[in-house]
Amino acid sequence: MAKKEYDTFVLTELSQVPEDQEMEMIVRDLTPADRRYKYRSFYATAMVSKSESKYPDLLWVRLGRGQLQEKPWSVKILKEVNKFSY
Amino acid sequence: MPYPVFKDNREFIKALEANNDLVTIQQEVDWDLEMGAIVRRVCEKKSASPYFKKIKDYPGFEAFGAPLATYKRLAIAMGMKPDASVPEISDEYVKRTTGEPIKSVFVDKRKASCKENIWLGKDADLFKLPGPMVHDGDGGRYLATWHFVVSKDLDTEFVNWGMYRQMVFDEKTMVGPVLPFSDMGKMFYGKYVPKNKPMPFATVIGCDPLAGVAACAPSPIPEDEFTGMLMGAPVELVKCETNDLYVPAHAEIIIEGDVIPDIRIDEAPFGEYTGYRTSPREPRTVYRVNAITFRNNPIVTVSNMGVPTDEGQLLRSFSLGLEMRKLLESQGIPITGVFMWPESTHHLVVVGVRPAYSGIASQIANLVFGSKLSPWFTMVVVVDDDTDIYNKDEVIHALCTKCHPIRGIRKYEQAPGTPLYPFADPEERKWSRGSQVLFDCTFPLDWPKALIPIKVSFKNVYPKEIQEKVQKNWKSYGFKD
Repeated sequence: MAKKEYDTFVLTELSQVPEDQEMEMIVRDLTPADRRYKYRSFYATAMVSKSESKYPDLLWVRLGRGQLQEKPWSVKILKEVNKFSY
Repeated sequence: MPYPVFKDNREFIKALEANNDLVTIQQEVDWDLEMGAIVRRVCEKKSASPYFKKIKDYPGFEAFGAPLATYKRLAIAMGMKPDASVPEISDEYVKRTTGEPIKSVFVDKRKASCKENIWLGKDADLFKLPGPMVHDGDGGRYLATWHFVVSKDLDTEFVNWGMYRQMVFDEKTMVGPVLPFSDMGKMFYGKYVPKNKPMPFATVIGCDPLAGVAACAPSPIPEDEFTGMLMGAPVELVKCETNDLYVPAHAEIIIEGDVIPDIRIDEAPFGEYTGYRTSPREPRTVYRVNAITFRNNPIVTVSNMGVPTDEGQLLRSFSLGLEMRKLLESQGIPITGVFMWPESTHHLVVVGVRPAYSGIASQIANLVFGSKLSPWFTMVVVVDDDTDIYNKDEVIHALCTKCHPIRGIRKYEQAPGTPLYPFADPEERKWSRGSQVLFDCTFPLDWPKALIPIKVSFKNVYPKEIQEKVQKNWKSYGFKD
């Protein structure tokens, strides 16, 4: 099965993103089954690695003003988190 | 309509076509960047508006780009000749919007085309609408780029129509910046948030062109009544499905919901009115969606903010300048006009004045920088009545020859600003701190007349009869222009 792809934004410092530990982050789905849902964002509990192959899915990284980083990281999405009480 | 204007977006599209200012694109176009790239190129080349008939993944939906990105389109929207000059459009705008506001009328929902389709509950899913990915690197798909948001004050009957961009976050959520000094910002952050109350909203996409102009205008008159003044007839409004707000009955798409007081989520980056992505991705105001209503075969309007000229730059420059004209005239300042070039991204305002007394340029700058619109102006250029404020060459000439590099420039510090200034440092952006400057391009009145430099131009240094003779014989001399 093809890897799923997500992306996320890191404001300035890529080095400050913790690897291999559970954290909450916003990701966007780049490869949904229904293409109309491309770029859907959600809060997720996930683990990331700067190695492209460590976790099952690819994670592309952009800086705070949209600059795409050349190489993808990898991510394991553990669960989607609902933030809305309304 | 007393003025030959358009009751909806579709009539306006037909008028652009009749004036050879529309390109109807029959081939399928992708909402993911391709559509945005076309609109961006249209803005940069000042090409005709693109009308997209077929959008990938979204059969039955259409899109209309760069609806008001040129003065020609603004003239058509106003029901004027397409080649009307900027001063002519300005005078007509001021004439129509000075006087009694025109109250809107309410129509039954059976007569409101925006109710032809109604999605409620789970059906009200934002991804079922063709929100474009406008620029590569944007924080999300921006469904609302040429639109307005309707909101109502918590304690009074005050209703605001304002253009606040909205990014699709998930099926039910949009997010966007609401600056604290904006009308909606004052209502939401000043009244709803302290009481932890959600604020009902309605996003109107694909309105008639003059409602879009009104939503951009910084007038104190309620925007629906201001639209009526521009049209010369009342706007037809209809009540929302899930809240008590009223929206234009013939708009293409209405998104209803609540602005949420207790959470902010990340929004942006996005191309901004300055032509840059300046403000970073950061937590901003959240909109949760309850209902979507729309016309059959709805047409999404798409503006692409970037380097000049898009409709945000053109219309904000136009209306901000004219509101300043009204303010300065109301104070009895002997101005000859006010103009902002769209290329200035409404940062630079040029004021023409008869220099009747000393200090008049400072008085003008104090009024401009002291107004509630102050954060949008960073530079005021005051020229005398010898300079054509609409002529870029003349204003640059005046700036470079009449403005003393030290005495003619006055700086204003600690002013309110916005986080969107590309020139501001990160700390200034964080706290929305601005700086402003006056360029006084008038010669001091206390100079002896004999010492005032004489402008050497065709109209200034030749006798009238010689000017007339030369103009009359121009073609016979052999000139083609």
